[in-house]
Amino acid sequence: MEALARSLVSAVPAIAGVPLWTVTLLMMVLSAAVLLAFALTFGGLGSYVLRKVAGDIQVRIGPNRVGPYGLLQFLADGAKLLLKEDIIPAKADRFLFILAPYLVFVGSFAAFVVLPFGVGLTASDLNIGVYYVMAVTSLVVVGILMAGWASNNKWALLGGMRAAAQIVSYEIPVGMAIMPAVLIAGSLSLQDIVRSQGGLLGIFGWNLFHNPFTFFSFFLYFTAAQAETNQTPFDIPEAESELVSGYNVEYSGIRYAFFFLAEFGDMFVVAALATACFLGGWHVPFFRAEALPALWGNLLSLAVFLIKAFALVLVMMWVRWTLPRLRVDQLMRMSWKYLVPLTFVNLLGVSLWLLIFKGKGIPALIASLIG
Amino acid sequence: MTTPAEALPTQEMLINMGPQHPSTHGVLRVLLRTDGEVVVNAKPDVGYLHRALEKIGERVTYAQFMPFTDRLDYLASMNCNCAWAWAVEKLAGIEVPERAEYIRVIVAELNRISSHLIAFGSFTADMGAFTPFLYSIRERERVNDLFEEICGNRLTYNFARIGGVSADLPQGFLEKTKEFLDYFEPKIPEYNNLISYNKIFLHRLANVAVVTAEEAVAYGLTGPNLRGSGVAFDLRRDEPYSVYPKLEFNVCVGTGERGQVGDCFDRYMVRINEMRESVKILRQAIAQIPEGPVLAKVPRLFKPPAGEVYFRSECPRGETGFYVISDGTVNPYRLKIRTGSFVTMNVFEKVTKGLMIADIVAVIGSFDIILPEIDR
Amino acid sequence: MGLKQYIADIVEAVVTTAKGMRITARYGVDAKEEITQQYPEVRREPSERFRGFLHNDIARCTSCTMCVKVCPVDCISLEAVRGADKKMVLASYDINIGRCMYCGLCVEACPTKCLTHTSGYEKASVDRGELILHFVHEDPAEIKARVAKQVAEAAAKAAEAAKAAEAAKAAESPKMTESLRPGKAEGSIVPAAPAFAAAVGNPGGGNPGGPKAPDAAKEEWEKKG
Ligand code: SF4
Ligand code: SF4
Repeated sequence: MEALARSLVSAVPAIAGVPLWTVTLLMMVLSAAVLLAFALTFGGLGSYVLRKVAGDIQVRIGPNRVGPYGLLQFLADGAKLLLKEDIIPAKADRFLFILAPYLVFVGSFAAFVVLPFGVGLTASDLNIGVYYVMAVTSLVVVGILMAGWASNNKWALLGGMRAAAQIVSYEIPVGMAIMPAVLIAGSLSLQDIVRSQGGLLGIFGWNLFHNPFTFFSFFLYFTAAQAETNQTPFDIPEAESELVSGYNVEYSGIRYAFFFLAEFGDMFVVAALATACFLGGWHVPFFRAEALPALWGNLLSLAVFLIKAFALVLVMMWVRWTLPRLRVDQLMRMSWKYLVPLTFVNLLGVSLWLLIFKGKGIPALIASLIG
Repeated sequence: MTTPAEALPTQEMLINMGPQHPSTHGVLRVLLRTDGEVVVNAKPDVGYLHRALEKIGERVTYAQFMPFTDRLDYLASMNCNCAWAWAVEKLAGIEVPERAEYIRVIVAELNRISSHLIAFGSFTADMGAFTPFLYSIRERERVNDLFEEICGNRLTYNFARIGGVSADLPQGFLEKTKEFLDYFEPKIPEYNNLISYNKIFLHRLANVAVVTAEEAVAYGLTGPNLRGSGVAFDLRRDEPYSVYPKLEFNVCVGTGERGQVGDCFDRYMVRINEMRESVKILRQAIAQIPEGPVLAKVPRLFKPPAGEVYFRSECPRGETGFYVISDGTVNPYRLKIRTGSFVTMNVFEKVTKGLMIADIVAVIGSFDIILPEIDR
Repeated sequence: MGLKQYIADIVEAVVTTAKGMRITARYGVDAKEEITQQYPEVRREPSERFRGFLHNDIARCTSCTMCVKVCPVDCISLEAVRGADKKMVLASYDINIGRCMYCGLCVEACPTKCLTHTSGYEKASVDRGELILHFVHEDPAEIKARVAKQVAEAAAKAAEAAKAAEAAKAAESPKMTESLRPGKAEGSIVPAAPAFAAAVGNPGGGNPGGPKAPDAAKEEWEKKG
């Protein structure tokens, strides 16, 4: 951020006199605001799309009353949630009860910081980006557990416990499944990972097609990440039909909206991470976005990145409206017996592959054979 | 040395599931004593929907009780309507025109399909897959359309009458029914592909809450729940009434396809297969239905002879039986209703021991209970 | 659990999930499969036999009370008085559609077929009194008073006629006069509405006896809850 600020100061003479730290601070605030706006809009539009997809799949129409095609439904919902009475149960632990939604929201929102939206569009290109995402999204579990505990409701408590068990056990396969991308790029920075998938090989430069193991890694990651973010079929902490609504059963109004937004935020983070690590991130197939002037390159790569990520989000919704829910013990079994061993085998496979073929993927090998 | 379990004593938790709960299918209350997620004991507490139907039956005339049987099992009103009519006819020895009997069988089987559709849909929704529910509702809507045409209502039909049915089939009804059957039959394999054989679904149901054949008989289970345990007993075949002897159909039983005989999946599959059989029955009935009157001559002030009768018929949720004592006046002296769901609740506590909380939902769904039948 | 089983499990899970997702996708993209009707704008025609709100064509109603007797939930209340021409005159005919279960028994029982189901099914109200449909729009007390007046006039006429007859016959048979006194003639007709209403018996209708304005009936209904 500071480097960026310095370059900005040197590039724009008008602000040359302003101290560097002010510019840096302003930029920080600005990027945070932009990201927040994006997260909120995505949460709103995501809920709209989710319902539309549900409607389509379930031979219904979905929201269509507020605004054209019901597009403004989320605004109406937001207004409704804001106007609703804010109920805090009498026996609840007030402090934790109020704190929990923020923690959950921050946990999912903070991950946006390192997402590589475009060629140069990252709020902060941390050199431990992947690690940071993993760490910060785990914060969500603290919030959920807190919400479950503070509600002083048995259903909520059960939901909280389930969430804790689930997220803790799915951290491992998620981390392991994403490792291949890190190995290939040789860096934990998400921008580096994206850059490593470039080249004029088009979609064959993507990690997805790097070698058979990365191919499986993608699906393993996608599955495990859905579980980590409590999406159906792994939504047991909420489990509408069992735990009524799980950890957020006692929440209403805007506090509930925070859980809701966090859920969509998580969804996007998962999709974005999968895009960045396996689907070439902001790389445009057969085209070098980096070569364009900064503005157009950024815009184009941003659009491509969002398209890829949204496509994945759509798939998540599609899965959500198809599958039934697992049981708690089955969920654990799936993690420990299936996903964890498989991701380890995959990691081993990728490592060996990189060792044997000197870091080249199948497309690269074929290309070198031909030419 | 103390084991970790001793060092950290845990407590059992008492959870109140219902009467307001999304998957208790109404106002059923289950008292769960759990050890974490594992259910130590699940005690159903019924009675939240008690409407004193039996007492009402003693206060209104035989004909007037008909609309109340709609409320006995609102998802299978036709079956209950017909059961009441058959019971009273048996009591009074009324000869029912054959066409009326065929119409009754047609509507009863249609209603069985729509009731099983709800069972299927709500069960999958309980399991977390919401989409099949909408599909099942879509099909049921078409049955409702048919019923609306035949009797004017979409839920509480009040269609049967003592001595026949209230009205003859409207023009083109049989063709429309056939159309529906043609539309509906291919949907069943689709359901199976969509969810029945889904791995997650199978895992949730197979080997869960096994009711053995002996238990099922001992606890008095009836209907699909009994057949799910592998006992081939169907009143339509084993104690034939109406025109069922003239119709051919299989009695579907649980086979332990993916687990043990009598688990949740078997009960679920019995319902799916019964929809197929109902389609078969309907096709035959449509082909065989004769012309003729639809209502026998029954005096307006109907007074059956003194006596008592027990009539049971195969409803979607098991045996619905009416025990009527008549003292020769216009209303029954005593009326006792036996319903499938109520009896099913007996075995609930036994089979849910040691399951997980999520399984309780599966068990409730697989028994396909309906609260008005439990509480009456 | 052998490795073979392990792999078979994974394959089955993937295959069955894919199958299910194919079906949902087909419905998802096929717009023709949408079955929602935009209700207030698009309405489906109720069928011919649709059992909607009840309607009584009171011009044809004979006040026979068959409908009242057959209704299992006592939601029809009817008051009638005997008119001058010996026919019953409806003083009030109310159906509480908040209580009605649309079973159609009353319609089947009606001998003149004046009671029918309409295809109406939309009625929401914040006031339960509004759920009582009044088919006789005049004040029952007025009707009763009018009928009573008519009856009295008729009786008076009859009495006059009787007097004339008496005068004519007086010469022949003085004994007859006793039995044809005006007072007696009046008593033979049933003018008293409350008595009739009580005989009809409407335990639930809210108008058990005596003339009552519709408002009063409403109030009483609300009191009953
Ligand atoms: S439809 Fe049934 S409940 Fe309604 S008034 Fe007629 S008999 Fe009574
Ligand atoms: S049954 Fe028909 S004619 Fe008789 S009182 Fe009722 S509405 Fe009038």
